[in-house]
Amino acid sequence: MTAKKDPYFIDFPKRVAQVQAAMAKENIDVYLGSRLRTMSWITDAFCPWRSYVVIPKEGLPTVFTFVIDAARIGDESWLDEDHVLGYAPVGGMDQITIISDFIKENLGITKGIVGIEDGISNYLPEGNLTHYEYKSFEATLDGCTLVNAHHLIDSLQLIKDEGTINRFREASRIVDVGHKVFRETISNGGWKGMTETEVAGICALAMRREGSEWEWSFTGGNEIASGYHTAYAGGACTPPTRKKLEAGESLMVDLHAMFKLALGDHTLNYFLGNATDRQLWHANNFVDIVKLTLKAYKPGATPCSLALELMDFAEERGFAEYMVPGFEHGIGMMGDEWRIGPHTGPFAYWTDPDHTYQENEVLICAMSYACPDEKVGFRYENPILITKDGCEALSKYPLGVEIIK
Amino acid sequence: MKKFDYLGPEWRDEAEKGLRAELTPEKMKFLTTSVTYSYKNCPGGGDKFLYFSCENGAPKDFLVGAGDGPVAEFKIIGDYDLYSKITQGIIKSHTALMTGKLKVKGNMVKALKLASLADRINKILAAVPTNY
Repeated sequence: MTAKKDPYFIDFPKRVAQVQAAMAKENIDVYLGSRLRTMSWITDAFCPWRSYVVIPKEGLPTVFTFVIDAARIGDESWLDEDHVLGYAPVGGMDQITIISDFIKENLGITKGIVGIEDGISNYLPEGNLTHYEYKSFEATLDGCTLVNAHHLIDSLQLIKDEGTINRFREASRIVDVGHKVFRETISNGGWKGMTETEVAGICALAMRREGSEWEWSFTGGNEIASGYHTAYAGGACTPPTRKKLEAGESLMVDLHAMFKLALGDHTLNYFLGNATDRQLWHANNFVDIVKLTLKAYKPGATPCSLALELMDFAEERGFAEYMVPGFEHGIGMMGDEWRIGPHTGPFAYWTDPDHTYQENEVLICAMSYACPDEKVGFRYENPILITKDGCEALSKYPLGVEIIK
Repeated sequence: MKKFDYLGPEWRDEAEKGLRAELTPEKMKFLTTSVTYSYKNCPGGGDKFLYFSCENGAPKDFLVGAGDGPVAEFKIIGDYDLYSKITQGIIKSHTALMTGKLKVKGNMVKALKLASLADRINKILAAVPTNY
């Protein structure tokens, strides 16, 4: 764990205590977390294999992960090796048995309430307990009742502490370096002959040199799109391909860096070689709506209020048909993506359109502009911190759609 | 050659002699650990245990008896019949673990570090002339 004076310090024991206090209010005897967002937020370690965290009423949590990764997580987490245990296909060591035995024998819980994480997500690596796991734990913890309790963690994750915010700042700084290096690389015709995958790699190298741990997004790492790939209708997912960059095309460079589990995510857009007046009209629309969006984020705003305001603007300017009426997605420590806030909206496990932003929330200001017929599109993503009276964009790279000669 | 009853007092004494003679602190990597082997369904009924501990690599306690045995860093649970086959070399301990016939309790990461040492102990035990 980092020292208290470290700008990236997070008080993990305090987090655990907050979870335990919330458990006590709901009479939960033990919390069995399984979502990637929970693992990151509790352990301060990246847990790429199926992992679980058992949080008792008092004392330290214990992590269970695939044995091939347990020693590393024990090394990187603030938890010691006795609180990071490996499971394996060995008698008594499979994930169901080892966790059930731990709850019953080590924690002494044979009757009571076990909080679990269940639900649905559009994010594939969410990590909710599977039906098989649920039924297995229900059988092995037969004196216990399993109740869905993810809301305890979700509510605590919403407002970011100083260390987390600083980590996000650093991840965004790294992304900005990736953009700067890429911009230098493609100047003077340097882009000619490049493929989308090559662009992704150049940016990845630049960011890793700055300390990024990986291009964290499950959407193919750095998302690079050129030409018609930028213009999928309603599209916002562009894993890089072997397509070569061509003159006259738009280029979308969506970089992802991770710093201590905080996530950088910033997209820049270019035209390669030249741009038509019509393409520049699209670009101006896009830049203007991004500027307006960044002004609109403030405490008290909601996704719905923002969408109404911004789509009105797009309608007035005559480009609403190219916009998706959504201007954000959630973000947190690794594994916490897409949904913002609690599950209080009309569609379960989606962002509540009436979620009211508060100071010190971090989210991704995100929007897509796509005109498939003209094979031109742009994306904006930038982590923003909701401040007392507005928002701060954490990536500082200048906004614009530049023509690269 | 005299044979000793498996897990009996004389077998224990003979096994301990072998362990103390052959397990040097260097061979045991100067480890401090303990393990209880729990034998289920023993002949005549009931459970037995074999407890072994070492301190800084030197064998410390080597106990056998009826019941669950002392609490140890690791506990390995299996049927008497299975253990006897492992000790005789009829079944490999790895196979028994991987097929779930033996059940381990303890920190798996630490257990992996100790797996080769457990094999060494088993070879010494296997050398004791035994009536199973």
